Amino acid sequence: MANVTVKLFGVFRVDTHTPSIALQAEKLKDVFPALQDKLGQLDSGLQFKDATVYINGESCKKKSRALQDGDEIWLLSPASGG
Amino acid sequence: MKKPYDGYMGKVLFVDLTNRTHSLYPWTDADRRRTLGGKVMAADILLRHIQFGMQAFDEDNWIVVTTGPLTGCGCPNSSRFNISTISPLTGILTSSNCGGDFGLWLKRCGYDAVIFTGKSKTPVTVSITHNDVVFVDASSLWGMTTTETQERLPRRSGKLVIGPAGEHKVLYACVFSGERTAGRGGVGAVFGDKKLKAVTAFGTSLPDVRDREKLRNTNEKWVRTLKTHPLTGRQLPKLGTAGLIAPMQAHSILATKNFSAGRFDGFEKICGEELAEKHLVRNAACTTCAIRCARMVKVDDKIVKGPELEILGLLGANILNDDIEKIIRWNYVLDELGMDSISAAGTVAFAMELKEKGVRDFGLEFGKTDNIEEMFHKIAYREGDGDILADGSRKMSERFGGKEYAIHAKGMELAAYEPRHAVGHGLGYATANRGGCHLNAGYMVVVEGLGLDVDSLTPHGKAALAIMFQNLMEAVSAGGECLFTSYAVLPGFLIDKPNWPLTKIILAAFPYVGPVVNLLSHFTKAAKINIPLLPESYAIKYATGIPSTMGAMLTWGAYGYNTERIANIILGQKADADQLPKRLTDEAQNPDDPRTKVPLDKMKKVYNRARGWKNGVPTWHRLKTLGVPITREVYDAAVKEAYR
Repeated sequence: MANVTVKLFGVFRVDTHTPSIALQAEKLKDVFPALQDKLGQLDSGLQFKDATVYINGESCKKKSRALQDGDEIWLLSPASGG
Repeated sequence: MKKPYDGYMGKVLFVDLTNRTHSLYPWTDADRRRTLGGKVMAADILLRHIQFGMQAFDEDNWIVVTTGPLTGCGCPNSSRFNISTISPLTGILTSSNCGGDFGLWLKRCGYDAVIFTGKSKTPVTVSITHNDVVFVDASSLWGMTTTETQERLPRRSGKLVIGPAGEHKVLYACVFSGERTAGRGGVGAVFGDKKLKAVTAFGTSLPDVRDREKLRNTNEKWVRTLKTHPLTGRQLPKLGTAGLIAPMQAHSILATKNFSAGRFDGFEKICGEELAEKHLVRNAACTTCAIRCARMVKVDDKIVKGPELEILGLLGANILNDDIEKIIRWNYVLDELGMDSISAAGTVAFAMELKEKGVRDFGLEFGKTDNIEEMFHKIAYREGDGDILADGSRKMSERFGGKEYAIHAKGMELAAYEPRHAVGHGLGYATANRGGCHLNAGYMVVVEGLGLDVDSLTPHGKAALAIMFQNLMEAVSAGGECLFTSYAVLPGFLIDKPNWPLTKIILAAFPYVGPVVNLLSHFTKAAKINIPLLPESYAIKYATGIPSTMGAMLTWGAYGYNTERIANIILGQKADADQLPKRLTDEAQNPDDPRTKVPLDKMKKVYNRARGWKNGVPTWHRLKTLGVPITREVYDAAVKEAYR
């Protein structure tokens, strides 16, 4: 199990009032249920597994990605504006 | 007798500031059907008026304030109005859109638009009512800030005002209506040049609508769509446009250090989440808005409009400042002075780079923030070096050098999106008629990473998509609608479920739908359908009686885009003027990845072909197909000049 930091942005952060959280997880796919356990359901109905994910600043679309100690994971929700 | 079209008030007011007279400008049902309204209507009016060599501060430069047919008809987000004129910043047309309530009040007076010509000798407020136009001495208002000015005008009226920056003809001065602004292109300077300090409108009329029942049903569905869509119903109300900072950082499109990078280490201190958690007092909204994206914050114990994404990025990452409280304060100061925050911030960043490169020291440097507020005041009053910065980054680069890193397109400073990681957005910046504007560009970043995750580095299909979005947003704006409503055209599941296999297939195919989109954009009248994702089209039909379809929307957009473009050519825009600074086209953002620069020439070839343009100049055939009102003689002379 790797010790990782998950930083939440957008709706994930506003709904959970949580900027970041430390977790232990083996793979990226393990992070989502762990977040669900700790933070509960989001008000908006959005699910953690549907987040856009960056690990250490790089886009990551592989849920099976193995995590390493010290990894910083960003979870982002879609956005628009002008 | 039944009017041919409802939704409109049917009259256009023409105000001569030199002679202090007013009359009606002829505007027919055929004109309404051809242009719809808003910025397209304004472009049409200005194309008929402008002459070769005409400039922003000429007495006969017109200011054209237009509304759309949906304004006042009960549609959501329909209070937007437009101000078009020759821009002192770019020398070509600018169209500046505002969410204040002036447009609604203007329609209540019985007018769809008002045109100002001439120059007053002394400061003046023009007061418009149902029955009259009164010219009121504004000497006592001259010198006041935008808020002070509005506080001294009748409470129950729509207002347009300028601040000190407009009075001193700062080339990017803006116009305020309430707390909202017609920000870009320096319309405030043209007001100031005409000594037009303020305009008020008070009336009680409302437009008739063609089919009230169907319009009500459409509006109810439309509001539901806006309130449940992932972008307009969730992200924008919760975080405002400020919520873009973090995704922009992730996608490497957060303009940093005068667009030399796309990521900023201090982004978490200036992001929308920080604003929402520590500074947001409450949400606010333009009149009739169902989205409510505006942020209200506290400055000096006053509740004022909070910063949008643009100023958080451009006065944060782009000048290496991570102090959000300073940004909140500067935003307030710029609003009070009446200056476009995007151009002001872009110009300051350019001045900082001039110092870093040892070209010229204005006392501004990256990361140094203690003298920025003072510089904004100097700019507004054109004092000291502020007089130089008041002319914007293009003129500064012509005087001091640094053209390759003066971050503007056609003289207008770019918005906060660094386009080397969103190359379609870069094409949009370059081709936008009013200059470096993200919205007039077609707002391609919404599909290139922020809303949808389409490959942001491939040029494939980007020209076609940019044209489609540019045309669509042009038409949405012409109707009087907020452009943010057009984001709801993107199906929610594509946004909310980015990891679904179906989403991945659709997004992977997105860049290759170019030929289909090209056909839609070129043969706009062929798309005689309405789609539920585009309620504007239904609303226009039920409000006005004009047979609106998706194809009609694209046609109005194409008409507007081509009309503005040929007007710009008459005003002196050269062929192949659709350019970006070399930093963005020649230097890769990531030196290890040559794809991280804007392949502009490659995309422009496709873009021009699809638009029916040659080197950025519409062909005669294209203009005639669209019915743009220009004679062959004028066209030939303009094109000859464009290639001179």
